[in-house]
Amino acid sequence: MRAASAQRMEDAATGIAIRNVSHSYGPAGHGVLALDRISLDIGDCEFHCLLGPSGCGKSTLLYLLGGFIPVQSGQIVTPKGVVTGPGPDRSIVFQNFALFPWKTVRDNVLYGLKKAGFAADERARRAQEYIDLVHLTGFEDSYPSQLSGGMQQRAAIARTLAVDPRILLMDEPFGALDAQTRRVMQEELRAIWRRSRKTVVFVTHDVQEAVFLADRISIMSARPGRIEHIIDVDLPKDRGEEILEDSQFIQLSEQIWRLVREQAIAATRGAH
Amino acid sequence: MTMSHVGPATKGAAPAPAPRRHIAPRTVDTLVQVSVIVALAAFWEFGARFGALNPFLLPPLSTVLVRLWTDLLSGVVLVDLGLTLYRALSGFLIAALIGIPLGIVMSRSKAVRWFFDPLISVGFPMPKIAFLPIFILWFDIYDTSKIIMVAFSCFFPIVAATYAGTTALDKWPIWSARSFGAREHEILWEVHLPMALPQILTGLQVALPVGMITTVVTEMLMGGRGIGGAMITAGRFADSVGVFAGIVEVIILGFVVVKSLEYLRARLLIWHPETRR
Repeated sequence: MRAASAQRMEDAATGIAIRNVSHSYGPAGHGVLALDRISLDIGDCEFHCLLGPSGCGKSTLLYLLGGFIPVQSGQIVTPKGVVTGPGPDRSIVFQNFALFPWKTVRDNVLYGLKKAGFAADERARRAQEYIDLVHLTGFEDSYPSQLSGGMQQRAAIARTLAVDPRILLMDEPFGALDAQTRRVMQEELRAIWRRSRKTVVFVTHDVQEAVFLADRISIMSARPGRIEHIIDVDLPKDRGEEILEDSQFIQLSEQIWRLVREQAIAATRGAH
Repeated sequence: MTMSHVGPATKGAAPAPAPRRHIAPRTVDTLVQVSVIVALAAFWEFGARFGALNPFLLPPLSTVLVRLWTDLLSGVVLVDLGLTLYRALSGFLIAALIGIPLGIVMSRSKAVRWFFDPLISVGFPMPKIAFLPIFILWFDIYDTSKIIMVAFSCFFPIVAATYAGTTALDKWPIWSARSFGAREHEILWEVHLPMALPQILTGLQVALPVGMITTVVTEMLMGGRGIGGAMITAGRFADSVGVFAGIVEVIILGFVVVKSLEYLRARLLIWHPETRR
């Protein structure tokens, strides 16, 4: 145990370094450039939002971070080293939940814990702990098809949080939720992050969501995706619903909204 | 002590109005379907009995059922049913044991796909029974050639469905498994197969009646025991009651076998939205 926490301390020394990463889809040579020389440092335990118009390649950047698609040029370095493929140190919540439909909520959560090598009784304890955390108590034996979209997404979040990844990647995880559930989930995620000390990279196109959640926000340009601005969110660490009426919050949201709007307009006009 | 009295009493009182509302549509459905079969059976029985239909060409249902009953008591029916079932299920299982793994390998290996895809494209629509004379020449006139014939005809729907089911799988569950650190061979068992299971089962459900048909047809063509053979023998002796007894046996056997596989599907796909309709 002591060795593990010592290891963690060492890991904590670094965050994520994205160095000159470009990515294109389609045939090599004449594909579509999705990401153009992205460089970005994300600090340890930082909540970082990637914000941009649809098609700006923010999801692509997240999949590259996750190791789901190979890095074509440039390099991504995490505390565990250079990213070459998916790994349990970087867990992801996908936009469409990606639960295993043939497993119950509990078995979905247990799957990741088993792969992470937890002992059987520890697996059961943690699974229950995280199911309770996302308020799915009583639905442990339900299959995803029996749950609403919001409940499925909470199950997916429990599954991902249970393995306690150092880096949490989230691809518009609340996009499919109704406005109320969305608000509740945002508050809970921020609270969980405050307690658990993780690095979070969160993709969204919702300005308010980004300002509410993030420490820093990268605003990406329309295709080919570049990072145009990096904004520090200078708001209190503990954020509740009341912050939405805070003048600083509103001012910052408007400022960011104008920057995103420029990119969206540029996108509709076509490049240059 | 007193509780045991309360239990049945409330049970008897409470559900009485509820099922009338909830189960009624399905019960009505079943009743209508059963009554169609009963009406047909009654038309058969009375049509034959009162001379509207020639009793030699169409013997009354009751006569057929009496024959079935005596054959059942003497054990003849059980031997024929058992043989037909044995041939159909053996061939079906062999086809599944070859077809499912081959379908999976085809979806994962280009070389295997290149080799088998044209063979399956040609074989799928081909009337497989045409191979029977060759199988008789190559094997025997007993069980082997019949079982191989059945396996051969069941193989194509199974391999095609498995290939289709394991190709173009939804990538998200696979990516999730990878992000939890699952290895590729684990993903095959833990993700690919459960995801393809509905389509593999559909392939099996298409293949099973094909296997039953092929069994009865090979038995008819080759003679000997088994339902098909018994029916042909009865036909040669102008025993129309025997022929119709065979038809009733085939109907019952087919129904039971197909329903069993449907039941298995519902059990295996308990997680699937289709099961909770």
